[in-house]
Parts: sequence; structure tokens; C-alpha cells
Amino acid sequence: MSAGAARQGAAQALGAPALAMGATFLAFGAAVAEAGLSLGWALICTGAVYGMAGQLVLLQVAAGGGAALPATIAATAANARFLPMAVAIAPLLGRAGRRWWALPFIAITPWAAGMRVLPTLPEPARLPWFLGFALASWYVALLTTAAGHLAAPHLPAELRAALLFANPLYFCLLLAADARRPGVGPALLAGVLAAPLAYGLGGAWGLPLAGLVGGTLAFLWGRWR
Amino acid sequence: MSQADWALALTIGIGLALRGLGLLLGGALRPDHPAIAWASAVSVATLAAFVTLAIAVPSGLLATVPLPARLAGLAAGGLAFWLLRGRLLPAMAAGLAALLLVRLIAG
Repeated sequence: MSAGAARQGAAQALGAPALAMGATFLAFGAAVAEAGLSLGWALICTGAVYGMAGQLVLLQVAAGGGAALPATIAATAANARFLPMAVAIAPLLGRAGRRWWALPFIAITPWAAGMRVLPTLPEPARLPWFLGFALASWYVALLTTAAGHLAAPHLPAELRAALLFANPLYFCLLLAADARRPGVGPALLAGVLAAPLAYGLGGAWGLPLAGLVGGTLAFLWGRWR
Repeated sequence: MSQADWALALTIGIGLALRGLGLLLGGALRPDHPAIAWASAVSVATLAAFVTLAIAVPSGLLATVPLPARLAGLAAGGLAFWLLRGRLLPAMAAGLAALLLVRLIAG
């Protein structure tokens, strides 16, 4: 059952999710090349951070000459959703010991698919399905990152600029789709309203501080109401 | 190691720790626990601020794209996403096509 479930997971990952996710990692690879950072940096970032929101923030702050600490805080804040995502999916991944295999792959695409599909599978098939899906997605992410990095210098400037727009657009659409979920709408609005604060403060600390202030105010607003 | 390398190494370590903590807490804490809700809110707000800045006042090569072209890309992507009931890939393609088209027209 394990191998079959893993194959099923991989096959599902290589459909529409791979195309949408691959486009964003292609754009990320191009953005890393644009920032003058190496292919190795791009691949390690994709393979080991494996959370596009944090990757983009990290790239923006670090490549802009920012120090390591604010870049790390900003990227961690952008990827702070790893924590609630892992809490939510943990019970679906089986008993505590085996679920650690899934740890590096808890990212938005495998997580969203896992939350939808895992409850419909028998328990022994769940972790293999998730690992099959996650590994296939991860390979797609690495391949498209490399493709974006290698192709970027050969593309005309207009196309490279359009490619750089793909990621903000992708996250804008995802956030809009999530806005009706409990707690998301106020945090989304607070983040948009806090953007001028990030811009005004500037430098590497602007974005993490804006996210922290906006997110905390939205959280308090939700508790107070 | 450069600052960018240090930032990458630290972000990897903290990201793994956050996931690991989530797996440990899974089953012990409910997903709507206040600490989890606060982390989610900060995550969404940081991402929303980042996206707002990336569209309104981008840096680097994206800054060479005029604001009307960026807004057209956003509007076309959003409209396609809504009309196609949440299909990401065609919505992104529509957004990027609109951005390129307006940039071409605007010169």
C-alpha cells in the first residue's frame, strides 16, 4: 500500500499544482539571478527554506545589502505560517515518530493538498501519500528554480521584469482567496495598511516591524471583538 | 560567508524549528490556540505588506515597469481569478499578459 500511495501522491503533485508552483519558482530563480546571487544560493534557498513567501522576503532584504538578522526576522515572519500549518497537519501524518519524515516538506502546496486528501485515505497510506506528493513538488521546485536562474540572463529585460511580477501577483491572489478564512481578512488589511510604515522606516527592519505591528494589531482586534 | 549566506542559514534553521515545533504541538494544541492565531496573523500581515510594497513601490528591474502596467496586471489577474473560480495558473497568465500589453502600449 505504501509504494502505491506514494506513487498516487507524486502523480497528483505533477498536475496543476506543479504548473502553478513551478511558475513561481521559475520567477524566483530569475529574481535571484537578477540580484546577482549564485545558482547554489538559489537552490539551497528553495530546497531548504522551501517557503516562497519567506524566500522572496529573504531575497529582497538580503540582496538589498541588509544585515543577516533583519533579513532572517523578516523571512521568518513571512514564513511563520509553518507553525500553524504543522500543528494542523500533524495528526493526519500518523504517530509521532514517523511524522518527522514530513518535516522539511511542510509548505503551502503539499500542505493544502494534504489537508484536502489525507482525511479521505486509510491511515497507513497517509504518510506515504504525503511524502510522494511532497517529494515530487520539491523536485519540481528545484528544477524550475535552476531553469529560472539559468534562463534569466538570456531573456529580454521586459520579460524578466514581467517574470519578477509573477510572485507578488501569485501571493496577492492566494491572500485574496484566503481572505474569508477566520482571522485572515483583518491580518491582510493590517498588512496592507502597515506597508507605508515599512516603506517609511525603510532599510532591512521596515518589513519585519510592519508585519509584527500589523499582525499583532489584527490578532488583538480579533480577540477584542 | 556573506550577510546573504548567514541570513539564508539562519532562515533555514528557524524554518525547520518552526515546523518541528508545530509537529510536536500537533495534537497537544488546537490550531485556533491564541499563540498559533498570533503567528498566523503576523505571517499574513508580513506577506500582505511585502506584496503591497512589491506592487506599489518595487525595487530593481520591476521598478522599470510603469505603475499603470503593474496595476493593470494586478486587475487582470484578480478578475481572471474571480471569473475562473480560483484557477491560479490562467489568472497569473492573464495578469502577466496585461502587464506586458499595457507596458507595450504605454511605451
